[in-house]
Amino acid sequence: MDLRLTEAQSKLQKEIRDFLESIKKTGEYPFTNDSLQLVFSPEFSQRLAEKGWIGIAWPKEFGGQGAGYLERCIILEELLKSGAPVGYHYLADRQVGPGIIHFGSDFLKDEFLQKMLNAQVSFCLLFSEPNAGSDLAACETTAVEEGDYFIINGQKTWTSHGHSADYGWGLMRTSFDSGTPRHNAFSEILINMKTPGIIIRPVINMVGLHSFNEVFFDNVKIHKKYLIGEKGNGFRQIMTNLVYERATIDRLIQNYSTKEALFEYVKNTEKNGVPLSKDPLIRDGLARLEVEFQVGRKYIYYVTTLLDDGKIPDYEAAIGKNFCTLFEAKLSDLATNIMGLHGLIMPESPEVLFKGIVAESYLMSPSYTLQGGSVEILKNIISKRGLKLASK
Amino acid sequence: MNFNFSKDQIILRKSAREFIKKEIPASLVRELLVDEKGYSPKVWEKMAELGWLGIAIDEEFGGIGADFMDLAILFEELGRGAVPSPFFSTVLLGGFLLQNHASEELKNRYLPKIVEGKSIITAAISDEKGFYGKNHVGITAKNSNGSYLLSGSVLFVSHANVSDMIICAAKMDSNNTGITLFAVDRKAKGLTATPLKTIFGNYIDYSIALDNVMVSPEMIIGEECKGWDYIEKIWPLIITAQSCECVGGMQKVMDMTRDYLNGRIQFGKPLSALQIVQHMSVDMFTKVETSKLTAHSAAWSISEGLDSENEAAIAKSWCAEAYKDVTKIAHQVTGAIGFTEEYDLHLYTKSAKKLELLFGDGAYQRKVVADKLGL
Ligand SMILES: Cc1cc2nc3c(=O)[nH]c(=O)nc-3n(C[C@H](O)[C@H](O)[C@H](O)COP(=O)(O)OP(=O)(O)OC[C@H]3O[C@@H](n4cnc5c(N)ncnc54)[C@H](O)[C@@H]3O)c2cc1C
Repeated sequence: MDLRLTEAQSKLQKEIRDFLESIKKTGEYPFTNDSLQLVFSPEFSQRLAEKGWIGIAWPKEFGGQGAGYLERCIILEELLKSGAPVGYHYLADRQVGPGIIHFGSDFLKDEFLQKMLNAQVSFCLLFSEPNAGSDLAACETTAVEEGDYFIINGQKTWTSHGHSADYGWGLMRTSFDSGTPRHNAFSEILINMKTPGIIIRPVINMVGLHSFNEVFFDNVKIHKKYLIGEKGNGFRQIMTNLVYERATIDRLIQNYSTKEALFEYVKNTEKNGVPLSKDPLIRDGLARLEVEFQVGRKYIYYVTTLLDDGKIPDYEAAIGKNFCTLFEAKLSDLATNIMGLHGLIMPESPEVLFKGIVAESYLMSPSYTLQGGSVEILKNIISKRGLKLASK
Repeated sequence: MNFNFSKDQIILRKSAREFIKKEIPASLVRELLVDEKGYSPKVWEKMAELGWLGIAIDEEFGGIGADFMDLAILFEELGRGAVPSPFFSTVLLGGFLLQNHASEELKNRYLPKIVEGKSIITAAISDEKGFYGKNHVGITAKNSNGSYLLSGSVLFVSHANVSDMIICAAKMDSNNTGITLFAVDRKAKGLTATPLKTIFGNYIDYSIALDNVMVSPEMIIGEECKGWDYIEKIWPLIITAQSCECVGGMQKVMDMTRDYLNGRIQFGKPLSALQIVQHMSVDMFTKVETSKLTAHSAAWSISEGLDSENEAAIAKSWCAEAYKDVTKIAHQVTGAIGFTEEYDLHLYTKSAKKLELLFGDGAYQRKVVADKLGL
């Protein structure tokens, strides 16, 4: 056991911190107060790419740095803490790249990996449908083979960044014979979002922001070389893909600024002449939060070491994601309560504190425990894979 | 970062687990909870033979001088067995306070005997109400003709009846703030120990009372008035060892509950096939998995000699509440059989509550965390 960062990792951490501090100061890039939006900035992503910080965990033969997922975690933690605009390269780095490395053809590798590393292409995820949420195998969008092409028809929904991304990573039904088991009926296809026949409609979320979309496909023609992995293997591939999605520190850190705001508030706000931070109940609540934060952070770092050992930590990633989303929801609830009426004031309002991130974070919180696999679905996975409870 | 245990640590854990399973089965635990000694001398002797009692004691006193992680592994396995024994008080409280601070004479007097299993030590550091802290020391020491007279009482002292020596923290009468540690002979005149019937045993914990117990200056551990510093120094070790015990206990509860749920048929299928039961079990499992990492990191940090005050407070705050919660969920999903004397779960329910409250509950530890946050 050795829980220290190596010298190289500490150096990396310092390097990225220094880099972010100086680049933030220039004011040239759209840093935000929090990391809830994952703002798109190809220019910023390209600055990271120049440093080799995109695809750092990918093997060298595919143009990555051959470093670990731990290194990726170090970088991401700093990026999210600083409110950096990471949206443009975020999904490529997190799961699309690793997905192509795992399953993609040579063509796809040649076509996309270098572009991702250079931050010249962005992605969205086309999984969910109106009738297929948790039950992804109920997808109805079809991809019918016609010569060298797939002809795609149907609808996806909740597509985050669908309106800004270049490509969509789609799960499509490719087998229509009733004898095929549900889980063998799907394939993954990379779809250029500018292809004729695709219509993207915004869905405004309850915070009042446009973050996700509905995406409609009307006879969209995609060349078969954009098939990822094997035809019929899409469902299984997606499960690996989702492990990469869950095995990261995002969920713990995206609300970091809310945590900082809360600590600052209690230290600087007095009630009856005493700072709130001296109130025993508040102290205990905040310390409890800190304990959970540290426990979650340790757990996420542990999960990254499993990835680095070449494992696919399915249930561990699910435990980590669940733990962190529940933490986030608690954080914003406690923060709004402690800040009292100020906890209700939204960004850009008069009298707003901390630019309204606390109220916004509270409004975002119902989504954490749903996206990327709901708490309940993840518990199903943990029960089966981790705990090995008999299900029959 | 590497979270893996070394080969030797894995072997140590395996052999400890086998030993406890064979030598201290739940049937013996039940006996010890009503036994007047509160431990098994036979098993104690075997622990000495295995080198456990000297695991943290330097080689010059006959010990092994292993690092804290090895000791943490033993605590975890003892927790898994819910073993009542004076191991904690002797090896951790006694061993570390003596080894870190006592005179050579005191070390020579006690440490080799601890290693051989011939001396049981305990410590009395709280007050008559059972509070912890520098301002909550229940004994006062008065200087009298070059010796000291100790008076006062302490609510919870583990294995006071079978101990040879009790390390007593005492406020100095001459100066209200200084606290000194005295090695007090158990048989000293004026010292009485009364067994407490607690949720975990009838003769394991004692309240002790001292009435002008005479102690000579050579029996002071380290320097006069430095006692509380010494206790603070081993506080992370105390609460990390407890955290490891919690981890062992909750892992065992998880294992037995899983087996039970997989086997118990209702409505024509195992309980484990019911999603609500699965999800409750996952809540337990999540607490177990996160507690393991948290306790092991604190133990690692201590082993490496790093400042572990915060890390240990986080571990105890998390693990103690997790252990308690795990037993609560286990009771609910196990049903009435879990409420019986015959089924082992209650041994853990009791041990969990005791570990939570002894040496400060979660809220107590979180005060440290809050201080570190600058609140
Ligand atoms: C902010 C946000 C961004 C998103 N971005 C994307 C995206 O970019 N791309 C994309 O494809 N999708 C995206 N999603 C969709 C997300 O993956 C789904 O919301 C999620 O899979 C749940 O599906 P659902 O919303 O249809 O809920 P449902 O599946 O209808 O579930 C409703 C409730 O029932 C519970 N439930 C369902 N099945 C079970 C079961 N078997 N056992 C126990 N309980 C169950 C769920 O846990 C949930 O609590 C996003 C969602 C959000 C909120």
